[in-house]
Amino acid sequence: MIHFPGLEHLPALPVIIPLIAAPFTIVMRPGRTPWLWATLVSWVTFACTLLLLEVVWHGGPTEYKMGGWAAPLGITYYIDLANALVMMLVAAMAAVVFPYAYFSVKSEIARAQSPAFYTAMIICLTGLLGVAATGDAFNVFVFLEISSLSTYALVAMGARRDRRALTAAFNYLVMGTIGATFYVIGLGLLYQATGTLNMLDLHERLAGQDNKVVEAGFAFIVTGIGLKLAMVPLHLWLPNAYGFAPSAVTAFLAATATKVQIYLMVRFIYTVFGFEFPFLEVALNAFLILGIVGMFYASFVAVFRDNVKQMLAYSSVAQIGYMLLGISFGTVDGLTASFVHIFNHALIKAALFMGVGCVVLRIGSSQLTAFRGLARRMPWTTWALVLSGLSLIGVPPTVGFISKFKLMEAAFQTTTLIPPLLVVLLIGASSLLAAVYVGRLIYTMVLEQPPENAPAIKEAPHAMRVALWIMVIANIYFFFFTDLTVGVATQAAEALMCSQAGCGGAY
Amino acid sequence: MPELLNPGVIFTLGAFVTLFLAAGLRRYFMLAVIAFSATVTWQMDLGNYGNLQLFGETLTVTRYDVLSRLFVVVFHIAAALNVIYGWHIKDRVENFSALAYPGAAMGGVLAGDWLTLFVWWEMAAITSVFLVLGPRSRSTYMAAMRYLAIQIASGVLLLAGIVLVYRESGSLMFEALALRNEAGDLNFGPLLVFIAFGIKSAFPLLHNWVQDSYPKASITGTIMLSVFTTKLAVYALARGFAGTGELIWLGAFMTLFPIFFALIENDLKKVLCYSINNQVGFMVVGIGVGTATAVNGAVGYAFGNIIFESLLFMSLGAAIYRTGTSKATELGGIYRTMPLTMTLCVVGALSISAFPGTLGFVTKGLIIDGVAEEHLMLIWLILLFASAGVLEHAGIKIPFFTFFAHDSGKRPKEAPPQMLIAMGIGAVLCIGIGLYPDPLYALLPYQDQIAGYHPYTSYHLIEQFQLLLFAVLAFVVLQKTGWYPAEVPSVNLDFDWLYRVPGRAFLGWVITSVAAIWHLVWDNLVRFMEAVARGLHHTHGPEGALSRTWPIGFMALFTAIVLGIMLIVTFLI
Repeated sequence: MIHFPGLEHLPALPVIIPLIAAPFTIVMRPGRTPWLWATLVSWVTFACTLLLLEVVWHGGPTEYKMGGWAAPLGITYYIDLANALVMMLVAAMAAVVFPYAYFSVKSEIARAQSPAFYTAMIICLTGLLGVAATGDAFNVFVFLEISSLSTYALVAMGARRDRRALTAAFNYLVMGTIGATFYVIGLGLLYQATGTLNMLDLHERLAGQDNKVVEAGFAFIVTGIGLKLAMVPLHLWLPNAYGFAPSAVTAFLAATATKVQIYLMVRFIYTVFGFEFPFLEVALNAFLILGIVGMFYASFVAVFRDNVKQMLAYSSVAQIGYMLLGISFGTVDGLTASFVHIFNHALIKAALFMGVGCVVLRIGSSQLTAFRGLARRMPWTTWALVLSGLSLIGVPPTVGFISKFKLMEAAFQTTTLIPPLLVVLLIGASSLLAAVYVGRLIYTMVLEQPPENAPAIKEAPHAMRVALWIMVIANIYFFFFTDLTVGVATQAAEALMCSQAGCGGAY
Repeated sequence: MPELLNPGVIFTLGAFVTLFLAAGLRRYFMLAVIAFSATVTWQMDLGNYGNLQLFGETLTVTRYDVLSRLFVVVFHIAAALNVIYGWHIKDRVENFSALAYPGAAMGGVLAGDWLTLFVWWEMAAITSVFLVLGPRSRSTYMAAMRYLAIQIASGVLLLAGIVLVYRESGSLMFEALALRNEAGDLNFGPLLVFIAFGIKSAFPLLHNWVQDSYPKASITGTIMLSVFTTKLAVYALARGFAGTGELIWLGAFMTLFPIFFALIENDLKKVLCYSINNQVGFMVVGIGVGTATAVNGAVGYAFGNIIFESLLFMSLGAAIYRTGTSKATELGGIYRTMPLTMTLCVVGALSISAFPGTLGFVTKGLIIDGVAEEHLMLIWLILLFASAGVLEHAGIKIPFFTFFAHDSGKRPKEAPPQMLIAMGIGAVLCIGIGLYPDPLYALLPYQDQIAGYHPYTSYHLIEQFQLLLFAVLAFVVLQKTGWYPAEVPSVNLDFDWLYRVPGRAFLGWVITSVAAIWHLVWDNLVRFMEAVARGLHHTHGPEGALSRTWPIGFMALFTAIVLGIMLIVTFLI
């Protein structure tokens, strides 16, 4: 590999670049400039994360000391395959959604607000990448707040189209803050017990400590992160927040925000606590049950929703159930399935929400009735939605199939509360529910007639369509080439599982 | 890429191209695709092609051997006949399905591993649902959704079965499975696969989707549906479960029960749909017996059935096309103006009744001989009885009530030329292969057994003629004495009339009680599902407790509850 100067700072670059770029955005002239700048930033960041993934893949985990201060006092970034994959995913979604955003934002947000919008987007990106990158538990909280605060503002910007975005954002603000507070309370308890905030150090010093303080800390942290990742029944903020946010924001958040939180949960369970604590079994069982409940409950709600954005938001809650299910198995295969689904679901939901964004731009509504006969009016958008919808169900040849296959495979060899076979059948049954709500959408678009006297509309602008179809093609591409998803996820899962068995460091 | 190019792929790619072609151009293109695919198949040697590497497993996209060859050949013929018959069809969706659906079926037949089979299995479900949706009314929409749900359920079961089989054997190759282990217990993985196949081949009690959905499609759609889905399942059974004893009884039952329903059914389209069940039953018996002769018979009969069943559907379709109805009560007497269609229909009817000199005779005999060779006396008798039943409902009822019977007063024009051409080709195949079966026999999988087989021996002829003559006699007697279930618009049995004829009384009792039980079960099931859906809508619908937007205090309360539970549980453990 060519040696670039400054490459030794690579682990920090994906966080530093957008962090520095954000303030410049706010002083730019409203209009096209902030968008171009944000796109550029996202692409550069994406390139950095790709490079980072490459380095970690071939060279093993890397460590970066902020300002040269050694752990546990200084803040260190540890990057192994798990976070490299998640960071790459987040940056990739930004790199696709940011270019897509221009026309959508132009129609949904006041021109004067556009610098603020893109600033918030970049800050949100910074926060998400930071949470994934850092190896310091308190630093996680800081980045969590950075991403959350910008997200509240972004959701509220949907108010120009629908005033309900304001209440949605407020609810999200309150709930998000509760979640973050719980997290920091839990962390405080752990700090009291161990005197350290560095994740690796925490792991070492927690070993053998099985007392009320640690237990309470654990409960607070799991609940806090559970709230942030919209685990049923803590998901109530999500459908409205995603439903009323501007389309581009929804596409970006749905593909990234909850995924990073899932990663964080995995990190805490497998790296920080490890397996020697009896209460971990409790958490895994809770994930198993709540995951299955979420899969069904949210799917049923989605079936009856008439607003496509909210339908997909509920579907996200259901899909989070799948990821929790994978984690709950407590095996390498289960964890692999979760990581694969994190990746694949990001592709699926980004494509779906981007497609809906195109419809909102041209027709001005995300109600199901607006989709009637869409195949005649916006064929490119329609077929993108159809393909990514099939991917959501898990029809080959799309990535959804890989996810379901991996999850079922993992389910077969587990010993959980619920018999493995039943779990497999439940996964199959909830896929059928996905087939129902996606089928409803497809039927409306493809087989119903457009409404009488519907005005002729143009297809979505090229920039949006290209971004949308890149996602759709990725949905098919990663079915055939699974090195990046299954390959990396398996290695990442093996490394994480290895850490609790004590084979050479947590990363 | 040429490695991956098999008929399934060619048809599927072609189907997507048709979406972008002008309506007038599409039909020529479709014929060209079929011709091209036939040429590719013709030049292909037996063997495995198209190995794909997918997450560490080798997939075999094309396995072209003696068993799959026969199905690929007949699917080509059927697809071509459909395109010719539907030359006037300009509907984009139907044109798409006319290629994609046979393509999916052929892909499934050629699949050398479970995963490829699964993909095409689902493709066949998805591409065919557009045919059921064809007329796009509310009732077809509901029927199509039911159809899709059942087909997808079959796919899900198949996938679950595949995963289990894969876990156990470590191989994804699509080979024969053992339904029971040495101790005689059921193996769970193969059982799931078996049920998945069973749904598609319409096993008894899993059969209802056929009568539910097929008649709702357009005329051409029904013809297409009647060919592919069940025959793909027959192929899969022959490949995976040949010689499985359970199939003999299942198949024998399948040959019997549709006869009763078909006799009293007024909608002739539905009569033919019941006949699909009955015909597949014969094949299932052959597969269950599993000897070389019987399997030869099963797949040979599948070949024959595709031709003559389509011929019957096509001739009935022509009558429907001209008169606009498929009710026995509203048809009749139209032989005067549609003599050609009538003649072709009679050829199909003779063939399905296995009249000597037709395709049915030279293939069905193999199955019955296969059963006889194994000394399965009871099954043999059931098959003979069922053969007589076929003659009653498909061989006589269809042509008689469509073209003769009471004069409906309708004087439609003769069928359009494209339909006559397609039916003509079908009829020529029926009689041609019937008289000179060697080309078909050369395609059968077990060549050693077929070498010494001669359909036209005096024993076969006498057996068949006795059967046919008595069945015809029965029909004539029943018809003349007025005891044959009259063409009435509803299922309506006159009990006074049944008392006088004890034999028929028993038959009537069987019919009514089976129908009553079935209706009871089905109605309760439907009512239950409706209640469930209402309940779900009540709780999960937009205004339901579980999905409305909760005040923020409640959200916080939930969080507190979850935290509390987490704390209590971690403290207690």
